[in-house]
Amino acid sequence: MKIALLGNPGAGKSLIFNQLTGLGVEINRYPGTSVTLECGNVCYKKEKTELVDLPGIYSLDGSSEEETLVRTFLERGGADVIAAVLDATKLERNLYLFVQAAEFSPKMIVVINMIDEAERQGLLIDATQLSSFLGVPVILTAASEGRNIDRILPVALNEARPALVRVPYDHHIEAALKSLEKTMGTPIHTNLLALQGIGDDPILLDAAGAIAKEIELRHHMSVRQIIATNRHNFARGITASAVKKSERKKSYDLDSLLTRAFPGVPILITVLFVLLLSVFVIGSWMEAIIVESFTTSVITPFTALALPPLWDQIGFSMLIALQAGFGIAFPFIFTFYLGLSLLEDTGYMTRAAFVADRGMHRLGLHGEAIIPMVIGFGCTVPAVMSLRILKTRREQTIAAFLISMVPCSARTVVIAGIVAAFVGILWAFSIYIIVFILLILTAVMLSRITPGEQFGMIVEMSPLRRPKVHLVLAKSWLRIKEFLFIAMPLLIITSIGLGLLQFFGLTDAFQQMVGPITSYLLGLPGYAPTALLFGIFRKELAFETLAVLAGTADLGSVMTSAQLYTFAIVNVLFIPCTSTLAVLYRQVGIRITAIISIYTVFLGIIIGAVINILMK
Amino acid sequence: MQPSLREDYLEAIEHFMIVNALPPRYNDIAAGLGKAESVVHSDMDDLVLSGDVTILPGGLIMLTGKGQQTGLSVIKKHETLQCFLSEILGMDSSSASDEACTLEHTISDETIDRLGQLIVKQDRQWQQGRGRHLRQESTLKYRVEEKNCQCPSIADCSEGENVTIHCIHGRACAKRILDLGMVPGEHISIKRKLSNGALVVQVKGCDVALSPEIASAIGVERLP
Repeated sequence: MKIALLGNPGAGKSLIFNQLTGLGVEINRYPGTSVTLECGNVCYKKEKTELVDLPGIYSLDGSSEEETLVRTFLERGGADVIAAVLDATKLERNLYLFVQAAEFSPKMIVVINMIDEAERQGLLIDATQLSSFLGVPVILTAASEGRNIDRILPVALNEARPALVRVPYDHHIEAALKSLEKTMGTPIHTNLLALQGIGDDPILLDAAGAIAKEIELRHHMSVRQIIATNRHNFARGITASAVKKSERKKSYDLDSLLTRAFPGVPILITVLFVLLLSVFVIGSWMEAIIVESFTTSVITPFTALALPPLWDQIGFSMLIALQAGFGIAFPFIFTFYLGLSLLEDTGYMTRAAFVADRGMHRLGLHGEAIIPMVIGFGCTVPAVMSLRILKTRREQTIAAFLISMVPCSARTVVIAGIVAAFVGILWAFSIYIIVFILLILTAVMLSRITPGEQFGMIVEMSPLRRPKVHLVLAKSWLRIKEFLFIAMPLLIITSIGLGLLQFFGLTDAFQQMVGPITSYLLGLPGYAPTALLFGIFRKELAFETLAVLAGTADLGSVMTSAQLYTFAIVNVLFIPCTSTLAVLYRQVGIRITAIISIYTVFLGIIIGAVINILMK
Repeated sequence: MQPSLREDYLEAIEHFMIVNALPPRYNDIAAGLGKAESVVHSDMDDLVLSGDVTILPGGLIMLTGKGQQTGLSVIKKHETLQCFLSEILGMDSSSASDEACTLEHTISDETIDRLGQLIVKQDRQWQQGRGRHLRQESTLKYRVEEKNCQCPSIADCSEGENVTIHCIHGRACAKRILDLGMVPGEHISIKRKLSNGALVVQVKGCDVALSPEIASAIGVERLP
């Protein structure tokens, strides 16, 4: 048996999924996309049931990756039972998706979640009435309290059936559906999509397009609008008969602070600053402990084994990749994800997007783009993957440049380890300031020269709520797991590759070739470019390599403050790491990736040279 | 050659093939389309060049794979459209008289005038030859949405106002707006407006944040 959870973003699907499966979840990347499908197994009455968490969507008739994926999933009958998770507080809007899914006529059940919040808002949902109307079993749940979650599996396994509802469409649309069915022999959901221009059969699309034009001529409205309106009105009818609303006194609305320009903008800046500062402080403190203990407990014993040189090199490269990975993953990225999940669970992120909209427009983006940028402070890889929430090519391109420049956790390690430790904490902050200024200049420049259309923000504001500790922890854990699964293998592979290069003496050749140039331009010692090269593979490796090549961990004794500062800033700006390049390639294509690499290399060298001249 | 003419030819050839189970000659096509045979001769040469047909010895006209697909597609399109129109008419004839009775008592003179204009306009387009206006390229698809309308946009409203959505024009990407429930006829209230014109609106009990350029694509009517 296979059960899939379908629902709007923020309806609590993932939470239900986690409660049903526990934390033993595997994350599957869907072939050819960057959308992830989470799958997990549950045992119920000694029978194995597979559970799939589909990405949250508002509609099935769209062309975004998520919508296409879920649609194909339904078309192919990807699951035996579809459990539609609906948000009780927004039932009408959520039923819009349900009625679309019902057109594919899979076996379904309805899970109305967040019933606790609905009760607080004075909404009373009549499950029996709703169930008899929709023709499928309805369960009222409150996932955050765990209420009724245990009923989902038995009901899904025993009582699921195809929904009875069918949206009554405008009579022109109905006539079109009937005609297409008659002449083309295609089912209703395919025809509805074809009328909106979606599908892969050219003959069907042609015929449907001709009818759509007729209908549009008669209605002075696009077929999309007509169909959407019909569905919404139908959903409204269902909601009206099944939901009783009693007025409640409105409590104080925090939004009057958060979504105004004042004090909304200062609050946003403070929140981001506090987030970054705490990651910086907590991260550097924890990292030192982890790296230290890993060295004494794993690396020293390994080197003591004295394996043959080649195997020693490969094993050593793998271990330092693990060490660096964990040294970043838990102290910096996990701390960051805790903060990020906290901001998301309180519902603050959508407010941040709203108040940032104006500023982001100046950068050629819009409010929603702040979300990938903030994620970028943790790790650039998931930030690039989240670029798909931006809808146009232009926005994705600009945001890809900016995200590649945002100082991620690994770069924070370099700044903390080199500049804050040996030069001074204020100098460390000055690097952030320089990066931000460059970031803004880059964005302003790009927004003038990037071709393409700008598409504004349309974001649903998530309700403000008090976050629950265990939920924040679970979410952060899920995210860090994604990092470990995606970034870690890349870290290990590049580290081994680098180890082999070093083993066959190629890095020395590189050093002799580039060394004189960097020492002239940047005033850095001859071994610095090798460290910078390593930094391309993994940003924080630059720091470790520098220490190895300099022969001491006390960098202050072998390099001047100016040299350390220059090294750090070049490394921070200079080309994103290979893992980032790999996801960039997938998300925005080879051309933009190449331009970003070249641009950042030049930017790094130029700024480094300028600082070198200024500090002499 | 005009795309519509090409489609006419391919349709005619494919149709002949289906009916007679053998390829047509020049005179069959000329008779079918009501054209002079000499015109058909020169047009066929063009179709050979564009890779839609091949001429067999003996003057038999064969469709290539590409030509056949286009021909089939055009035939299907016409068939479907025919079906669609009779479906509409069928529905209308049963309910039309009832509807007319109700309308008679409630409709204003102005509306009757406007309806009259509308019908004339549609008929004219109809007479221009079904073939032609149906085959206009699909770039016109969102024409209806792009139509300028006189109503104020939601961007012109101020904080705290309650309005009804009248129309959504502009981009094809307006999909998300529709999915979130902002469809014509929906009541929405404006909860927040920033100085740059970014809005938070409440629709179907949810708050939705909109950029200024999105807001200006939503035409509204103010509620009294």
